[in-house]
Amino acid sequence: MGRLTLEHTLQGHKGRIWGVAWHPNGNTFASCGEDKAIRIWTLSGSGTWSTKTILSDGHKRTIREIHWSPCGQYLASASFDATTAIWSKSVGEFECNATLEGHENEVKSVSWSHSGGLLATCSRDKSVWIWEFAGDDEFECAAVLNSHSADVKRVVWHPKKDVLASASYDNTIKLYSESALDSDWDCTATLSSHTSTVWGIDFDGDGERLISCSDDKTLKIWRSYPPGNNAGIATPENIPVWKCVCTLAGHHSRAIYDVTWCKQTGLIATACGDNAIRIFKESSDSNSDEPTFELVTAEDSAHGEDVNAVDWNPVTSGQLLSCSDDGTIKIWKVVD
Amino acid sequence: MSRFSGALQLTDLDDFITPSQECIKPVTIDKTKSKTGAKITVQEDGYYEESESGKHKLQKVEITLQDCLACSGCITSAEGVLITQQSQEELLKVLRENQALKATGETDKVRTIVFTIATQPILSLANRYNLGVDDTARHLAGYFRSLGADLVLGTKIADDLALLECRQEFVERFRDNPQLTMLSSSCPGWVCYAEKTHGSFILPHIATTRSPQQIMGVLVKQFLAEKLGFSGSRIYHVTVMPCYDKKLEASREDFYSEVNSSRDVDCVITSIEVEQMLLTEDKALHLYDPTELDWPWTDQSPENIAWAHESTLSGGYAEHIFKYAAKELFNNTLHELDFKQLRNRDFREVILEKDGQTVLKFAIANGFRNIQNLVQKLKRGKASYHFVEVMACPSGCVNGGAQVRPTTGQHVSELTQQLEALYKQLPLSIPDNTHTKQMYSDFLDGAHTDKAREMLHTSYHAVEKLNSALNIKW
Repeated sequence: MGRLTLEHTLQGHKGRIWGVAWHPNGNTFASCGEDKAIRIWTLSGSGTWSTKTILSDGHKRTIREIHWSPCGQYLASASFDATTAIWSKSVGEFECNATLEGHENEVKSVSWSHSGGLLATCSRDKSVWIWEFAGDDEFECAAVLNSHSADVKRVVWHPKKDVLASASYDNTIKLYSESALDSDWDCTATLSSHTSTVWGIDFDGDGERLISCSDDKTLKIWRSYPPGNNAGIATPENIPVWKCVCTLAGHHSRAIYDVTWCKQTGLIATACGDNAIRIFKESSDSNSDEPTFELVTAEDSAHGEDVNAVDWNPVTSGQLLSCSDDGTIKIWKVVD
Repeated sequence: MSRFSGALQLTDLDDFITPSQECIKPVTIDKTKSKTGAKITVQEDGYYEESESGKHKLQKVEITLQDCLACSGCITSAEGVLITQQSQEELLKVLRENQALKATGETDKVRTIVFTIATQPILSLANRYNLGVDDTARHLAGYFRSLGADLVLGTKIADDLALLECRQEFVERFRDNPQLTMLSSSCPGWVCYAEKTHGSFILPHIATTRSPQQIMGVLVKQFLAEKLGFSGSRIYHVTVMPCYDKKLEASREDFYSEVNSSRDVDCVITSIEVEQMLLTEDKALHLYDPTELDWPWTDQSPENIAWAHESTLSGGYAEHIFKYAAKELFNNTLHELDFKQLRNRDFREVILEKDGQTVLKFAIANGFRNIQNLVQKLKRGKASYHFVEVMACPSGCVNGGAQVRPTTGQHVSELTQQLEALYKQLPLSIPDNTHTKQMYSDFLDGAHTDKAREMLHTSYHAVEKLNSALNIKW
């Protein structure tokens, strides 16, 4: 079985750190937190990580999440000040070149679509917004989706299609896509099974499966059954039906705040309120309709307080970023 | 599912709340001499204060719809309040009480019941019950009379007056400042959203012309009351509208007359509620004897009941004002307008060019996402529109939030297309007609007079954001 070794512990933010996100090139990442600042970290020749840039003038309140565009040119930040900022490095230095307003209150999450042409945000105001990115600083609101009945915690795009997933305080996950009929965005599926807030979601590499983590201390794996699937699952509206095919319970002792599914290795990492980071992988004899997953390793005291976010390096296999209420960022490596 | 427009569904808290739970409105509590040691106990029928003098029931806090409108807190919980103040149950109760008064001969207390039916609900119900448009209106009139209505009216007169006033307001504002952007005012979802979230920035752009519902309100409670020879408070005025937001509009303080001590519109019911009422009666609409609608305004009533106002489905503001302004300001007579669709079908613009220069630029922005894009453009100084017709519902009023729902398996857009087709068959109303002329001369001391301004215009109020500790939540 594998284990997790700590490569680096990084400090810089004041107060709790809410989010970390790898740049698509894998040798830069960004972090954000309650000090209202975004830090951009890079690896130097000597193998140490340092803050290259601090973006501190974009938001008036806590920055909850950041996300890089697939091209790596833009960084989006979601803040409790009800705005989403878009930063770009067109002329050497990072600058905020658009501020998206519209949410009534705290923006909780932001995500770029696979093509980078769409951006999604969600908020405590219960709504999910989809923005079309028309280049430069031009963002147009393409949809305001009011499907959730409570605070929306997370939005994540499908890795290959324009399909959006959102997770909420109402215990459900919802999926959205654009209707071919009238080019309006509609909620196409509601995934119910968690018994408390769904904090995080992530797709696997090809987007056929989704993992969710919850305040109910479980992980759930959901699978998409498209029309005409071999399992004989009925698709009444001729769109894919999502079913919960696996629940991982008994591993976490507190709320699970984040989950990340490695697109290269298939490993799953979780960030938990019990200060631990856990790594799971699919069993070798797993069956696609009833998959089984096993715990690879649990790093019990990964951080001194709640672990808020985890992110797999998209280039360097097995490298994992984590951040915590304890004010540190850690870089880990899964070793056999 | 909420029947409010999308603009009003954005709210502040995880508000599956009812007003009593998390409402942030400060409440005055009359404190009698405070004694220590009092205990509050909760029992099924309310809260009790226990003290040495014994137990007494605490007064329940009453939150009115006006409180909700004046507050920056939640809005959907207003839905709970609406149920008690503006509902079919309340309407039926008032009608029953009125019938009872008639029966006991207490004629001095009997109220005259007036129904006003807007065009969009007629279309919705015509489609629902598979009847002709004017026939639907006649059967509805028959149904409402069976419930005790004394007069049943259409909205043509108010729709016409709203266009006349709004186009006049536009031309005056444009002559004053050709860089202006004027925004339409007939959609209460949009107005309420603007007041609550964009206050002082957007409100000066919004036309002061009242919506047709509120013009009907003033006509009924003042002109009609005068004609009938009694005070407006003796009239109970019910409107049938395509959306819940109209209930909020009718509840605005601005539309309460101190003199009459009554609201211009007492109760708003919607298409979907009429459908429910008919369902409860267990009698199909066509089984109610059709009756003609009333026309108390002028001697000769128009030959039709339901009328189209231009080709768009929300009163024709952009189209009508554009044509009028082109003629009035640039001496261009236009018939058909060439609206260009922008990002989506609910955002369209039309321009008038003169000598290669754009002299007039209008837009129609429907639905909440386009309201957002419009507001952001205005904020960044990138909206070069002279006038924008703004409606909170996608596709406009014909697709109002409280229109009859699509049948199972039917897509909303399919239903909207059916209603659109019905609308396109309606006769076109020309607002400059003998009826409106007579209304101006008989009731408003003529056009552009102080009285016309007072009766047909209104004002808006920015709602201050409350930053109370109760609002903060991680």
